[in-house]
Amino acid sequence: MTSDTSSISTPSDPPEASSTSSEPPMDLSLPSSSPSEPTSDARPNLIDIPENLQVRLKPEGDKLLLILPPDAEQTKSPIGFSWNEVWQQFKQQLSARERFWQPNSAVYLMVGDRLLDNRQLQAIADELSDLQLQLRWVYTSRRQTAVVAATAGYSVEQQTAAAPIAKPTTAAPSMEEPLYVQMTLRSGTEIRHNGTVVVLGDLNPGSSVIAAGDILVWGRLRGVAHAGCKGDSRCLILALQLEPTQIRIADFVARAPETPPAHYHPEVAYVSPKRTIRIARASDFQRPEWENQA
Amino acid sequence: MARIIVITSGKGGVGKTTTTANLGMALAKRRRKVVVVDADFGLRNLDLLLGLENRVVYTAVEVLAGQCRLEQALVKDKRFNNLALLPAAQNRTKEAVTPDQMKQLVNALARVYEYILIDCPAGIEMGFQNAIAAAKEAVIVTTPEISAVRDADRVIGLLEANNVKQIQLLINRIKPAMVQANDMMSVADVQEILAVKLLGVIPDDEKVIVSTNKGEPLVLSETPSQAGTAFDNVVRRLEGEPVPFMDLTVRDEGLLSRLRRILSNRA
Repeated sequence: MTSDTSSISTPSDPPEASSTSSEPPMDLSLPSSSPSEPTSDARPNLIDIPENLQVRLKPEGDKLLLILPPDAEQTKSPIGFSWNEVWQQFKQQLSARERFWQPNSAVYLMVGDRLLDNRQLQAIADELSDLQLQLRWVYTSRRQTAVVAATAGYSVEQQTAAAPIAKPTTAAPSMEEPLYVQMTLRSGTEIRHNGTVVVLGDLNPGSSVIAAGDILVWGRLRGVAHAGCKGDSRCLILALQLEPTQIRIADFVARAPETPPAHYHPEVAYVSPKRTIRIARASDFQRPEWENQA
Repeated sequence: MARIIVITSGKGGVGKTTTTANLGMALAKRRRKVVVVDADFGLRNLDLLLGLENRVVYTAVEVLAGQCRLEQALVKDKRFNNLALLPAAQNRTKEAVTPDQMKQLVNALARVYEYILIDCPAGIEMGFQNAIAAAKEAVIVTTPEISAVRDADRVIGLLEANNVKQIQLLINRIKPAMVQANDMMSVADVQEILAVKLLGVIPDDEKVIVSTNKGEPLVLSETPSQAGTAFDNVVRRLEGEPVPFMDLTVRDEGLLSRLRRILSNRA
């Protein structure tokens, strides 16, 4: 492998070409569940990451925001998150990001329009207190949840359903702070972040990271990585060992070659000026020229 | 403190129930007080493998419904009376019980028994949630197939998220000859992905089928079998004894063919 070699075949065509061909030129198996509209196009849809697509823990000053995704019935999408799934995600987030908050920080729980019963609220509070975090405030747009939270002794703020809970993202399209995750992402784990994601650990097959910015993996990348999911094709995917199921940058897709290489090196995946995803050894990688002009 | 261990896999048919039966029996042979809990409501099998089917009177559901006492539902093994089985209801489904109810049951058992082995159903739905609710440790059973390993990986992630942190791996049904011919994932391949502590490797053995049909776990057999010995070793490791892993290389291979293989692998 010399510099700038592609160890991944890149089946996605330039934009003009791919819009006419519904079939990709190579035996690329498409991601079967396109995030929003079903298209026969070979290119992945650009993904907008709404605040509430998964459980999020967000440090803000000396407090910590815990944001829950909406209920199944409340969202327009038919597939919402059940309490069980919310709980799994919550626990995963807690264990992956343990080092990122001060002990005894106050937690602000953003429930949104989700219904929480007494037991669920208690479970969250217990789990947080195990990590020396204190649940203080509950923000909800549902009267029932507000009553439950108030009875349990938390400060409650009830908002109208229309008012968005976290304002900044609706106003600012810019990216958020990088998300640092220290864990092995096992099959079924998905991380979505409106910014750069750093993973200290492996991405096992069946896991995925979808980021608006770059994706850095200090470990093996064997799952799916989608960098620049809002359309920035200058985003990069970097891994110590790059053997992904599939990588995507902006609206370009590439999959791993049928025969894996014998040796792995730290590598960088980027979109070349020829509008295809290319892989370079980290030691040889230089940003493409067109990027410098920008 | 009782050890509460769930035996789980994600994928079906990899040998969870066989493992539960053999580990339970091997522990009982070592004079431990053991109870095996069948958490596979609606599709119970553990009683068959232990040969206790015809002794089942009450099940876990009747205990929870208050129709009998817990001791009444426990089936004492006919060979070792320090081994008991808590049968699952066959006429109900996984939704019949809740994780909290399972916790109650298991915690009641934990006051009496040293080991509680919970045989988890396949899948990651309600039955799985019930089975892991009370568990402190887990044994992940997988076969060296990509689908089983992928599901095991998912299950490990779910266990970690549910505070089951002590997770060990049991690789079942490995065929040494196929591994050597590079036609099957090796132990190292599986471990590389799952990255959890290896508890044991069970070679593929036709005797398992015979023992299943007879309702007599392999570890009881007079004539030692490879799989039976491997299960015995697993139990010794569970109890903290350092036991070296069995040599599973194919032996009936001449020096010449082995040389040839090494040379061809180099090329």
